[in-house]
Amino acid sequence: MLSKNSENVMVEVKNLNVKFDQNHIVRNVSFNVNKGEIIGMFGISGAGKTTIIRVLTCQIEQKYWNGIVNVTGLSPNKKRNHGIILSNIGYVPQLEELNLYFELSPLANVDIFTSTYGMDKQKAKEVAKNLFTILDIPEDTWDKHVKQMSGGEKKRLSMAIGLIHNPNVLFLDEPTTGVDASKRYEILSYLKKLNQKLQTTMFIITHDLEAALICDKAAILREGKMLSFDSPKKLIGSLPSNGMIARITIDNLNQQVINTIQQFSPIQEILRVGNEVMEIMMDDFEVNLPKLIQFIVNEGFKVTAMSRDVATFRRFFQIRIKEEEQKEKDQNSLIVENEGGDNEKT
Amino acid sequence: MLWTDKFNIFIALVVPPLVVALLGVMGSISSKAPIIPINCVVVSYDSNAFIEENNFTESRIDNYHGPYLAAVNKSELLNLVHFYNITTDLYGMELARELLIAKEIEIIIAIPVDFSELLTWDYPGLIDCIIDSSDPQKIQENINAVFDSIKIFVRDNNLTPQFELSGFEEFSIPENYNAKFNNSIVMTLSFMVIGVGMVLTILVIVHEKPIARLLLTPIKRNEILLAKYITYTLILLIQNISLVATALSFGLYIVGSVFDLFLALFVLGFAGLSLGIFISSSSKTKTEANQLFFAIFLVLVLLSGIFVPINAMPIYLQVIAYILPLSHGDPLINGIITKGKSVFGFDFYVLLLVSIILVVISFILFKRRKYEV
Repeated sequence: MLSKNSENVMVEVKNLNVKFDQNHIVRNVSFNVNKGEIIGMFGISGAGKTTIIRVLTCQIEQKYWNGIVNVTGLSPNKKRNHGIILSNIGYVPQLEELNLYFELSPLANVDIFTSTYGMDKQKAKEVAKNLFTILDIPEDTWDKHVKQMSGGEKKRLSMAIGLIHNPNVLFLDEPTTGVDASKRYEILSYLKKLNQKLQTTMFIITHDLEAALICDKAAILREGKMLSFDSPKKLIGSLPSNGMIARITIDNLNQQVINTIQQFSPIQEILRVGNEVMEIMMDDFEVNLPKLIQFIVNEGFKVTAMSRDVATFRRFFQIRIKEEEQKEKDQNSLIVENEGGDNEKT
Repeated sequence: MLWTDKFNIFIALVVPPLVVALLGVMGSISSKAPIIPINCVVVSYDSNAFIEENNFTESRIDNYHGPYLAAVNKSELLNLVHFYNITTDLYGMELARELLIAKEIEIIIAIPVDFSELLTWDYPGLIDCIIDSSDPQKIQENINAVFDSIKIFVRDNNLTPQFELSGFEEFSIPENYNAKFNNSIVMTLSFMVIGVGMVLTILVIVHEKPIARLLLTPIKRNEILLAKYITYTLILLIQNISLVATALSFGLYIVGSVFDLFLALFVLGFAGLSLGIFISSSSKTKTEANQLFFAIFLVLVLLSGIFVPINAMPIYLQVIAYILPLSHGDPLINGIITKGKSVFGFDFYVLLLVSIILVVISFILFKRRKYEV
């Protein structure tokens, strides 16, 4: 059951603040999730991602948070809404053991979860089989114990359980954490597939920045504050040189070399991304790139490889976090200076 | 690291010495405890009339049942609960038997009709006694107590120390039944049913991780716990049916009704599973639940009254003992099997009440339990 104004906006969050005693966990966070979108919320541990998802999934009592929150048009601040919200949403926890009974078969797991939504058994079985097929869960495992399935199969089964009642929004908590690199891309591509085939709105919280590849919008959180929220493409485009980077490999790269190259004035940002590799962003990228190479050669450094590319979301994340840290440092030093000045006066 | 799991440390360090201390207290109670007199009823058929064989004249003789009653009262081993004189209390023996079934007394001492007459003419005295034989270990103890009263009676009345005591065992197992099997099954049934009920359920909340995820569906916490109760109650029913059927097929002699026994086992088992779910919903980890089960089960067994009679315990232990389900489960099952008592009695209602209280507490604990996914 969806309210009228929620037909397009699945999740609405305005000025959300979450406080546990003196700990201000989430500060003035606002964002919307529209129907059919995949939203990724990124941040390191302690950023407040899990707290936000807990507010949205009715797990945190209203006394701990304030602001406007609507999930499928209903606010979790009223207990009477919880039942409807929970039947409108799906949830895929980080650990499969929280979502699956390992001693039962996938179909028996489906039975348990669908009974909580009051679904017809036969219909639930059909939906499950369709989801299992989309997610490539082998048919010969459907009646076996979940514990006999591979890690990837368990993960996909967990997603299927989250989607079994055709929710309006699917919340996913760290879907790629603890999965090896090759499987990470596989899981992300399955999520995109589900999104495209079933038009499911997805809300992902993760610290795996690769997940941005499938997101329509990405939010970056740091210490409870939302630093950015837009499509990954736009966010990357907001970087200096419109997100273009020069990836340069230099023999015997060290900090002294970086400091020297930094003297080339159009440079905005240098990031060392490997032993001998750095990524450079600068003003007027196309014009200044040849000049930069010339500058490096003139300084006597040996360039062994060079390529130009568009920055990844990972770079955007690093730069945005670095900026925020720098801003915080500057503010702190200003406070210390002011306090020092006050002390001298007294 | 150690302090990350304070409760388990508490259980591990405090409970074992506490159990040893409890055993010590129980041991000292049983060795130092004053003699607990055995409750008895005296039923007198004695007549003080003497009929002369030759001329059929009736004359009065000394009445000896009065002095015998005095001897019973004097005996430290007996406690006279009631005296019935059949000449005035026509149904005295029936009333005494009811007290025996209700376990309010353990011996009926019957004074025969020619009791005074035999003693008057210096014949050996004769006394009949009906003793509760449902507990084979107490048969000799009961006979000894009656002998003690006879000893006092003979001494106080300067009688010839010739006495015949005829004992009749009541509630003993018929010869065609296996006594050993019956005695041991009566002992173990209550332990087994409550223990299995607890073991079955101690991990149902604490160990089931997907409960946290189920709470993110429209299902309510009460519904989850109710589903657990229904499921495990059904298992309990099946277990009880198979238990009673197996016991009967191996020759369990039940004086009472099989339905009463089934109901008694069910209510005791339900108390066990309620206790198990209570442990599970109050524990944070699997280890904590296991430790708590161990501690509670030991206390249940030690204070059940099976090893040390509850009325021989200090008053504070008696209070605890009477709250615990096993202290009511054992006499309930014992009473039905050996004496044919009805299930609906004090013990049954206490078990029901304890179970209901545990269910209510478990629901409150489960409602307040913190779950995070």
